[in-house]
Amino acid sequence: MSTARIHGATADTVRPLSVDAEARRFFRLRAQIAWATLRTMLATARLRLSLVVFLSAMFWGAVFGLFLEAFHFLDALHAEVIPLLFNAFFSSLMLMLLFSAGILLFSGLYCSAEARLLLTLPVRAEAIVAHAFQTALWFSCWGFVLLGSPMLVAYGVMRGANWPYYVVILPFMVSFAVIPATVGAILCLVLVLWMPKVRAHAPALALVAGCLVLVAIGWWMTGQGRVEAPSTTWFQQTLSRLSITEHKLLPSWWLSSGLLEAARAGHDPGGSLLEALSFLALLVSNAMVLQLLAAWIAKHVYRTGYSHVIAEAPTRRRRPLGWVDRMLSGSGSSAGRPLRLLLLKDLRIFRRDLSQWSQFVIFFGLLGLYFFNLRSFNYHTAYASVIGYLNLAVVGLILSTFTTRFVYPMISLEGRRFWILGLLPVGRDQIVWSKFLFSFVGGVVPCVGLVLLSDAMLGLPWHLVAQHEVCCLMLCMGLSGIAVGFGARMPELHEPSAAKISSGFGGTLNLVVSSLFILTTVLVAAIPVQISSLTAALGVPRLATRGFLSWAGGPQGLVASYVVIVALGIVATLVPLRMGLHAFRRLEP
Amino acid sequence: MIEFDHVTRSYGRKVAVSDLTLSIPRGELFALLGPNGAGKTTTIKMLVGLLQPSRGAVRVCGYDMTRDPRLAHLHVGYVPDEPCLYDKLTGLEFLWFIADMFGMPRHLAAGRIEREIENFELADFADDLAESYSLGMKQRLVFAASLLHDPDVLVLDEPMVGLDPRSVRIVKDLLRARTSEGMTVFMSTHTLAMAEEMADRLGIMVRGRLRFLGTVPELREQMALETTSLEQLYLRITEPATDDVATRAESRDAR
Repeated sequence: MSTARIHGATADTVRPLSVDAEARRFFRLRAQIAWATLRTMLATARLRLSLVVFLSAMFWGAVFGLFLEAFHFLDALHAEVIPLLFNAFFSSLMLMLLFSAGILLFSGLYCSAEARLLLTLPVRAEAIVAHAFQTALWFSCWGFVLLGSPMLVAYGVMRGANWPYYVVILPFMVSFAVIPATVGAILCLVLVLWMPKVRAHAPALALVAGCLVLVAIGWWMTGQGRVEAPSTTWFQQTLSRLSITEHKLLPSWWLSSGLLEAARAGHDPGGSLLEALSFLALLVSNAMVLQLLAAWIAKHVYRTGYSHVIAEAPTRRRRPLGWVDRMLSGSGSSAGRPLRLLLLKDLRIFRRDLSQWSQFVIFFGLLGLYFFNLRSFNYHTAYASVIGYLNLAVVGLILSTFTTRFVYPMISLEGRRFWILGLLPVGRDQIVWSKFLFSFVGGVVPCVGLVLLSDAMLGLPWHLVAQHEVCCLMLCMGLSGIAVGFGARMPELHEPSAAKISSGFGGTLNLVVSSLFILTTVLVAAIPVQISSLTAALGVPRLATRGFLSWAGGPQGLVASYVVIVALGIVATLVPLRMGLHAFRRLEP
Repeated sequence: MIEFDHVTRSYGRKVAVSDLTLSIPRGELFALLGPNGAGKTTTIKMLVGLLQPSRGAVRVCGYDMTRDPRLAHLHVGYVPDEPCLYDKLTGLEFLWFIADMFGMPRHLAAGRIEREIENFELADFADDLAESYSLGMKQRLVFAASLLHDPDVLVLDEPMVGLDPRSVRIVKDLLRARTSEGMTVFMSTHTLAMAEEMADRLGIMVRGRLRFLGTVPELREQMALETTSLEQLYLRITEPATDDVATRAESRDAR
């Protein structure tokens, strides 16, 4: 192509780039964007950057410590299990990488403004796909490296591996990650081309398919009835079910085997660095062949697929939930109608924004799956109670990420539409209250359900279930109050991107305050119950203990914890909302 | 320079562009007019290779936009209705990116970038990140980028949106100068005054069909309204009951 004769006035000034030149230019583009992003963050979002680095380091350290202990424990008791765990871990990550890369590529290749620009330039289709692929690989890989690297380093430390093991960890991980990501890219390109009716809904379908696969795997893994946890029977059953991940054609097996060989090389007669490197060569060669295949497919189908996607988009119908809208706008008193209409507007925006509801479904769906699988074990009451509180905290933390990402920017996003709201017979207070109600109702339904599911699966007594539900209610109320209040107090009316609004100072502050509120609430709820359980488990009569412990573990402690939880919830709701309302009334857009 | 050869494009069952046959020679400024939903944007998307025709072919400088998109794109500059830039690149970096993508030699690219920065008065903000630009600044930068490689064909989709009067003047002068040097301009616009002032020929699309093709005097002549403004002519021809004029125009095109 590059040698084709060009004619016309531009012939002496332009020439098609070679494959290498295109790749170099796209690499430079990504480097320029990454550098500018880092500089901007250092200049304007140091708090956020520091928090991300600090929390990532904390997370890495915690995972490393956990795996180190686990490997020492397993090595002493069941050393033969370690390869199986490696295979199970990497095969599940392989599935996740496949889906995440496919979804990211769909968005990058078919829905982005960048693709629209690049397709009007004299660039090969496969070069555009490769550029989007490398961006998607980076985004889908960082979680893999953050989770996988502490595990692999911990294994090396436990095994006493020599330095070559640590050197080959990264090449092994990267070459492995390329394989499922490339398969995801190929699936994305082919699905978009061959399935015209589902093209517009491809990301949603991919999400649903991914969730179904995970549900099926979870069901299959734990569908053997209730057993004592953690018991030998359960352990043996689980191991036998995991053996499918040791299939020799799976790239996850090549990765696990190569790394295990590398860890043993040098000090264990069974280990060989050459053998390890042959597995690395296997991964690299397969990754390269798949890349060639993806490039060939991209060359032939990407432009046509893009054309089909933009031709399909305007014909989508959006009326399946019309009855909900009619019910919301038609019911209730006329005085409350403006508030209901504002709620209706936000509900429509939410359900038509794939990025919002898909994340909602994925996170709460996976959490529901995990809670549902808790039924597979019989728990000791004290142990179950601790898990119940941890689950409560997890539900709260996930809700707080949603309130930070989607609810906090809601007021700011009204910025460009402020003139519409300003001309309507709606008070500014009603706008803020409508956001609060939207967030509270949207959060309370799945959260209360999930906590109930978790407690039912754990077999907790009714008084703990009631306490957890009260906590959950207060968490939903407080988190909504914090997000809406802070959003109204620190609006960014000229910023159209919700992601940028939530990742700024206000969003970060919202997340930190929300996390503190959750931890405080759960601790206040858990302390009396755990003290009571502990004294009962140790066989110590309550009256024999004195002071705070005796008081906290008794009925007074429980009542006091209820009072504090409700008070905390009310304060977390009303104080930020009051601040937000006050600021929003005086706001001059 | 530009050829639409019996081009049809459908969105599902809806035909957005129907059997469009149109040829625009070198050095002509062609303005495509029409009401919302007439098929102008679809036509432009096919011309710049974002959309492939359901039937027919679009050719630029003899290159088929579907079969040889890279070679065709080497001859095209495109200014979309919504300017697309990289937020985290400066204006200067963006211009270099575009010049590199067209394979321009370094020394030539440096001179052209300097020329366009001067032409579109970008110097004050060329070193700032694009995320800080106003709509007008973005539009000026996209104009500059589209002209870097001196394209044979410049495609403009609503080019004056967001530009201040001074920038509009600059663009108009540049278009005149470039077309006199042989560049072909294909412009979609709702600004009738601009079309009347600038265009060598007009095309008026209604519901996917080209209802009229010719100059403003020819339009007046066909509609037998000698002293009427282009606005009134446009409103008449885009009314549903003007099939007779449309038929005449189409039969003339066919000849």
